[in-house]
Amino acid sequence: MDIVILLVVLVGSLGLSVIFGRYIARMIVYEKRPLEKTLGRVENGFYKIIGIDRYEQMTWKQYFLAMVVTNVIAAGFLMVVLLYQNNLPLSPKPGLSLDLAFNTAASFVTNTNLQHYAGEQQLSIFSQMVGLIFMMFVAPASGIATAFAFIRGFIRKEFGLGNFYVDFTRIIITLLLPISFFSALLLLFLGVPQTLDSTITIGTLQGGSQTIPIGPVASLESIKELGSNGGGFFAANSSHPFENPTGISNVFECILMLVIPLSFPIAYGHLLGKGRGISILAAMLIGFGVMLALGLSEQSGPTGLETRFGSFGSTLFLESSVATNTGAANAALTGMSPNAVIGFFLGMFVQAIPGADGTGMMMMIIFVVLTLFLVGLMVGKTPEFMSMKINPRDVKLAAFVFLIHPALILIPSVMAYTTENAQSVLGEHTTPATFTQVLYEYSSASANNGSDYLGTSANTPFWNWSTAWIMLLGRYAPIGLMLAVAGSFTLRDRKEVVEPIKTSGFLFVGVLSVMVFILTALTFFPFLAMGPFSM
Amino acid sequence: MIITTGVAYPLLVTAVGQTVLPSQSNGSQVILNGKVVGSEFISQSYNSAKFFQPRNDSASGVDPDITPDSAISQIPAINSATGIPVNVLKTLVDLDVARNKETNALVFAPDYVNVLSLNIELVKQYPEVYTNEISVKEAP
Repeated sequence: MDIVILLVVLVGSLGLSVIFGRYIARMIVYEKRPLEKTLGRVENGFYKIIGIDRYEQMTWKQYFLAMVVTNVIAAGFLMVVLLYQNNLPLSPKPGLSLDLAFNTAASFVTNTNLQHYAGEQQLSIFSQMVGLIFMMFVAPASGIATAFAFIRGFIRKEFGLGNFYVDFTRIIITLLLPISFFSALLLLFLGVPQTLDSTITIGTLQGGSQTIPIGPVASLESIKELGSNGGGFFAANSSHPFENPTGISNVFECILMLVIPLSFPIAYGHLLGKGRGISILAAMLIGFGVMLALGLSEQSGPTGLETRFGSFGSTLFLESSVATNTGAANAALTGMSPNAVIGFFLGMFVQAIPGADGTGMMMMIIFVVLTLFLVGLMVGKTPEFMSMKINPRDVKLAAFVFLIHPALILIPSVMAYTTENAQSVLGEHTTPATFTQVLYEYSSASANNGSDYLGTSANTPFWNWSTAWIMLLGRYAPIGLMLAVAGSFTLRDRKEVVEPIKTSGFLFVGVLSVMVFILTALTFFPFLAMGPFSM
Repeated sequence: MIITTGVAYPLLVTAVGQTVLPSQSNGSQVILNGKVVGSEFISQSYNSAKFFQPRNDSASGVDPDITPDSAISQIPAINSATGIPVNVLKTLVDLDVARNKETNALVFAPDYVNVLSLNIELVKQYPEVYTNEISVKEAP
């Protein structure tokens, strides 16, 4: 039975990603898509409204700036909505505090969706809908767009990296929105509610009455999973029966989370050689397989898990969610076995097995560059990628991308303890379990993951401000550096010669997987030993 | 973009949902004898020993289901409170498990019992036993 569920999730998401991967490849090189004329007309309308020239090509700096400016405007809008939701329509609730509003805006614009608030209690329907659902499109579209630009860096020569506004519009209108719409209808069919009311008051079997929070859940749920977002309508996230009512919805949500991250290596294969695409996909699946094996090696629950998912359904959902940096949760993390938690950490540390929409693929290519450099050192050859020499600056930038992550996790974790802010939330007595919760909080923030142990208990100024800045740095610093790498590759000479180190095939997949594991292990093992290993 | 993704999209899903799937859209409310008695997906509390009890240590806190083992372990208590034969209670639990298996296309979920639907079945089969428990107190 469990094996059938696993097969359906894997075959379903891989099958769909073959279709979407081809489509994404067409989007990257601006080839004709199905319904091109109609879509083109709709998109041109948007370009006219925002006043952009669709043929303008951007350098990496322009592209990055356009993305940051768009994100800042969207985040500013969300912050205003959250601060002043008491004056806005649809079941107004008191405005959030400044630190909580800043945290939430940073969390949603960076595709993290760490939640220090309880959605059904603290947010109005207007905030959930116009604020959060809107942002749940903006954040993944920004990530996917930068991945488009990044991949273009390797296939275009001195032609710019594309146009951010064009990519952003096309990704939302012709990729995310249609899939979300149909997925929302399917979720509705499976029992996820969709209404503009914020509560329903209905009878009970014994003749009493009960008030149940409700809202436009289906439309939020679909883009939440599809867009690597993960922010729940309810504080209980996907464990709430209204977000994830049955075993079937659980399987469908797993597929939604995996489909776009897995589509990227397929698109990459279409553009840069089938072997290379399949090799990257294989490396991603090996990493994901390790996470799953860890999670399934030990029984979780039943405390903290939902009966309709059981240990297997909860583990499969959570490992998929953390692997794709979605961060949705269908069980309480405290209910999961220590091995499952180690799997979560692995996913958040690597961020590329398969990682979030767009950024997971970029991170994997960074690992490829680092691997080529290290292997090149071993065999004494100048490393090349896509027939282009990898120069010292690329390696420095790639190493920097890799090193930002541990810095953003470990420094604030230490600060939380030295300033007593960890102790004030988790108690004076520090145990491996409480240390794990602090380490997890910042790992989740820095990886733009969003799953967490602390939840509303971390709604204090220290935790709100610190995690907000970590999320922002964890998002924009690596993306900026990755675009810089792409920007320098696009200017480089390429000669069609045999690669000194092949970037496809079994050997490469093996070396890449081992390299990813060793780099991650060397960096993080001491901290895992203090935390989850000792739980 | 705000209007497209934040307003038009959720409103369109709402419009389709309320028209085509009104039951699911409004929280899958369950009706008994013409009265709404709860949501299929949200657990409720029962203050009588004649009903099966839900769990409260789940992730959501409103888990509507219990494991078959947990339901079976409650059977002796329900039997002594109601006098309903043990084998009948066991059959009703099995029927509910089978019904949920069907909901999940047989393979997509572990076996579980929906507490509300099981209790409703008890009330339907043994109305005389439950007259006092469901005597409709008008909502205040």
